Amino acid sequence: MYGFEALTFNIHGGYLEAIVRGHRSGLLTAADYNNLCQCETLDDIKMHLSATEYGPYLQNEPSPLHTTTIVEKCTLKLVEDYKHMLCQATEPLATFLEYITYGHMIDNVVLIVTGTLHERDVQELLEKCHPLGMFDSIATLAVAQNMRELYRLVLVDTPLAPYFSECITSEDLDDMNIEIMRNTLYKAYLEDFYKFCQKLGGATAEIMSDLLSFEADRRAVNITINSIGTELTRDDRKKLYSSFGLLYPYGHEELAVCEDIDQVRGVMEKYPPYQSIFAKLSYGESQMLDKAFYEEEVKRLCLAFEQQFHYGVFFAYMRLREQEIRNLMWISECVAQNQKSRVHDSVVFIF
Amino acid sequence: MGQEEEKGCSENGVESKEEEQDEQENNVLRFLDSLDSYLVLMDSLSSTLRQGWMELASARHSMGASRLNSALFDLKHHNAATSLEVNHHDDTTMQQTYFNLCKWASPDTQNLCSKETKLEEGELLQRKASSPQIRHRGASRSSVTVDDQVQKERSKSLSVFGALVSPKLRGAQLSFETALETLVEIANIRSSILCTHDQVQEGMKTMT
Repeated sequence: MYGFEALTFNIHGGYLEAIVRGHRSGLLTAADYNNLCQCETLDDIKMHLSATEYGPYLQNEPSPLHTTTIVEKCTLKLVEDYKHMLCQATEPLATFLEYITYGHMIDNVVLIVTGTLHERDVQELLEKCHPLGMFDSIATLAVAQNMRELYRLVLVDTPLAPYFSECITSEDLDDMNIEIMRNTLYKAYLEDFYKFCQKLGGATAEIMSDLLSFEADRRAVNITINSIGTELTRDDRKKLYSSFGLLYPYGHEELAVCEDIDQVRGVMEKYPPYQSIFAKLSYGESQMLDKAFYEEEVKRLCLAFEQQFHYGVFFAYMRLREQEIRNLMWISECVAQNQKSRVHDSVVFIF
Repeated sequence: MGQEEEKGCSENGVESKEEEQDEQENNVLRFLDSLDSYLVLMDSLSSTLRQGWMELASARHSMGASRLNSALFDLKHHNAATSLEVNHHDDTTMQQTYFNLCKWASPDTQNLCSKETKLEEGELLQRKASSPQIRHRGASRSSVTVDDQVQKERSKSLSVFGALVSPKLRGAQLSFETALETLVEIANIRSSILCTHDQVQEGMKTMT
């Protein structure tokens, strides 16, 4: 039973919980989004964002702006907040915060390896990496020819090392192997993060279990939909699903054999939390599925702030900020392409 | 007799003038039809490209910027998946250029030219509206084989972004493919416009 965190949490975590709740109050509101959706140019967006917490990051950017510039600069705000919290954190919060970035680390590893396979310049690839997923030896990834070398030369000294045990082979890296590696690493990471949160116990375990289970289920659905019509076999598809979550294990059995979006819908509608998500979609359509999942995720992340004295607020803040940056990216693209009527296709309001 | 011959000649002259006028009017009509088709195709191209760019942005939103960016393009040497054939047709009156698109025709699949894939165009556009992965049952064996091969080539070209990409990216690919076909049609229509324009001008010179 939890509840005794109130006695001791503030000794080590009180300051940072206050900080993260302060950051949360700086997230954009519906009124901010309404103003942004009415912008005619990217410079208008920059002008509106100058009154928000993103202002200092965009103020020195020259015109003409590009959508990727807006996303990069807004991401710097997220990175700065994270680094401040990390440097102030004690254990086990510091480890918890580091876990939050391992997903970006995996994405960066895959980006470097894929780009190298395509004979791209390493510096160019490093510029595209997410700043939260950087580590010292990342540039050395370019020399590896297969996963065994990848592990032995570079990743053995990184936090991703324990996740490689399931995907070490001597096969040369190609597009399918890299994709399987990405998803296998992410599966191992999610399971490890889940176990870590369970060990922490209390409100952290309860809240993070719900959030990570949702993440695992969403990944299972996305893997299923994205692999329809590809060479990925049913067995390989099933191996990429995490070993926890609401869909584990029976939902995974059914998802593994799905051949189209309607079969996926049939599986997911058996689970009440996901009925509402799929009720928003018409038959045969998957365009709005991402938005439906993001809306559900935002709802759960906002609920994490309703309780005190747990680490889930840090995870929730990071994810909400990432969602906000996705919203800004989408609004910028709609404005840049003069398609403002499509703005509400993918913007998810947080407040 | 001389008067009858003169009458016959003048009747023939009137008939040939009428024929020339008819031909000239036909040329003008063909020119205007080509121009109309050109304008319709340009409008169609514009809306297809807008749709394609929006779908690409949507795919980027879904998959993330690290999975979908220009740094992942393959710089290794490889054969073009699609090529354009340019043919010149010379007839007695005019020279006209024809453009023919050979889609998804790698060296291993030389038979897959746009003539065959155009048969599936209607099906592909229909498929895009619902889902890119639904197979058409009851299709003939050869069209199913071509269909599978085309799907494989499409997936291969998208594999630079990973083996498991979002359906939105596949949708964007189809949009840009349709735009490319429209561009080739526009090129052919332009060639036809130029040809009929020259014919009309020739006709006007002849009549004056």
